Amino acid sequence: MSTTQNSVDNASLEDRLYTVKYEDPGESHLDVKVTGICEERCRTDDCVDVCPADVWREGEDGVPHIAYENCLECSSCRFACPHNNVVWTYPENGSGVTYSFG
Amino acid sequence: MSEDDDRATPPAEPNYDDEFDAIVVGAGPAGSASALTMADAGLDVIMIERGAYPGAKNVFGGVLYTPTIRELTDIDDAPLERYVGEKRFGMLSPEDETAVSVKPNQWHQEPHNDSYTVLRGDFDEWFAEQAVEAGATLITETTVTDLIREDDGQIVGVDTDRPEGELRAPVVVLAEGGNSLVAEGADLKDPSPREDVAVAVKEVIEFPGDGNEIEDRFRLTEDSGVSYHYFGEGAVGDAFGGAFMYTNDDTVSIGLAYRIEDAVTSQPKPEQTLNEFKSHPAVAPLVRGGRTVEYSAKTIPEGGADAMPDLVHDGAVLVGDTAGLVLNNGVHLEGTNMAVESGYHAGNAIITAMANDRTDANALLEYPRNLEESFVVQNLERYEWLMETAVEDKDLLFRDLPRAIADASEEYFSIDRDPKAEHADEAKDRILQTIGGWSGAAKLAWRYRKVMTS
Ligand SMILES: Cc1cc2nc3c(=O)[nH]c(=O)nc-3n(C[C@H](O)[C@H](O)[C@H](O)COP(=O)(O)OP(=O)(O)OC[C@H]3O[C@@H](n4cnc5c(N)ncnc54)[C@H](O)[C@@H]3O)c2cc1C
Ligand code: SF4
Ligand code: SF4
Repeated sequence: MSTTQNSVDNASLEDRLYTVKYEDPGESHLDVKVTGICEERCRTDDCVDVCPADVWREGEDGVPHIAYENCLECSSCRFACPHNNVVWTYPENGSGVTYSFG
Repeated sequence: MSEDDDRATPPAEPNYDDEFDAIVVGAGPAGSASALTMADAGLDVIMIERGAYPGAKNVFGGVLYTPTIRELTDIDDAPLERYVGEKRFGMLSPEDETAVSVKPNQWHQEPHNDSYTVLRGDFDEWFAEQAVEAGATLITETTVTDLIREDDGQIVGVDTDRPEGELRAPVVVLAEGGNSLVAEGADLKDPSPREDVAVAVKEVIEFPGDGNEIEDRFRLTEDSGVSYHYFGEGAVGDAFGGAFMYTNDDTVSIGLAYRIEDAVTSQPKPEQTLNEFKSHPAVAPLVRGGRTVEYSAKTIPEGGADAMPDLVHDGAVLVGDTAGLVLNNGVHLEGTNMAVESGYHAGNAIITAMANDRTDANALLEYPRNLEESFVVQNLERYEWLMETAVEDKDLLFRDLPRAIADASEEYFSIDRDPKAEHADEAKDRILQTIGGWSGAAKLAWRYRKVMTS
């Protein structure tokens, strides 16, 4: 794409995630129900592909690694998993992400 | 931006058992509208919000539609950013843009077509405050985890993540948004299939400068603003969806949304798609030099009228995004107005039902009846076919046609020493080739005739 004169200095994902306030709930509010489904039946890693915050990352054994501390609480991973294998709850007592603008 | 200090602190362990007529789950536009309606009529309402303040966890594109809000309260002090004075629709091929801009002079006059850009962190807090001023109780930093049922199935309250956090009331309004964990957990609604849900990412961008940056960049006067909508490959790649840009007082909201189905197949990661859109030659100059001050993400339910769950249950009603009430078809992206309207009708139905001392599903039927007669269901039904047809024509509408139109426009307006008639013929041929000749054009026009005529 020839965008030489127009190119935008896009911030890295890390810099972007710094723009939101995050209070660590202390434990993950996301999990997989049955690890075997990820390992054996899932060839897609759809949870990894959809996540706009890189929370879901490909794990070596086929079970995704969940870096829950970056979660934007968008809920995309929950809808994306073709095996309905995501355990999705809200971080307790309002912890997790806070947006200033929305 | 509001500072945290002036946000209300929630009571440590609220214990209001049995004192309330209605419990509202979620203080978004749907929840606050229903709480305000009921509190105005003298009902005791408690609204439970999981964020530190209403709006703390909410994200949307940018335009709030205000006709119903205006009926419910005085919007003069609402934290509105700009009124929408221009709507622009841009078709983006990978490198080109062909756009239509709509700027009726009327929109510059009050009430500005009832369309204002807002930031949800500010607006939701203000709107919830209107419900509180009318007498509703608001507790924050509290998440509803489940509904409480009697043996006969009647819902009689909620459980929360607070210690001993049960609250009872004859009726519960589920205004929890599209990620309806409570409604689904209690079997009031099925989870939406991913073909009916879009993933959205958004940034708020700030510019260094003299304070007139937004006016200068978008050629605005005073409080007027713009809402720009983009489709085609340059907006969201191969996916089914669109991108947007809205002007706030001194920031720009920019983002995009497309079906999760496409996000997991044809697309790079959402933030990468956003990078590409921001770097498009037609978009980059508008955001050049800007600094991202917030990155956010959310899902949008877009199943339309067909996907609407049952709205009333014994002791509970579903409103707003929880009820799937969003119109998202590229031309329109409206959900806040539908949320407010549904909250208002649900609130009124509850007032009637409570007056008769009954809150079973039958007693609440006034709500779906009135909603069906309102613009909410009528608009959803009107555009139901459009989404289905557009999904079938996805490649043509979002990839081939934008390319052909860009090519054709370039050809039509190209300046050289050939006569204009030749350029016009060539331009026409390019479009006709893409849509399958005159018969293809006729078929296409027939398929989409209802956009203008129904
Ligand atoms: C990217 C994007 C762009 C959009 N653009 C527009 C636009 O320009 N114009 C427009 O009109 N609409 C737009 N929409 C749609 C609009 O945002 C929604 O339709 C609208 O916000 C729905 O309101 P609601 O009150 O039903 O839900 P929400 O606004 O989602 O509010 C739900 C509330 O409930 C709270 N909550 C959820 N679960 C619980 C729980 N268990 N316990 C306690 N609290 C809970 C949440 O924190 C939140 O405050 C857009 C949506 C997105 C995602
Ligand atoms: S998409 Fe679902 S099944 Fe597949 S890896 Fe992710 S969580 Fe596991
Ligand atoms: S909710 Fe959104 S941000 Fe959080 S893990 Fe899921 S996809 Fe990622």
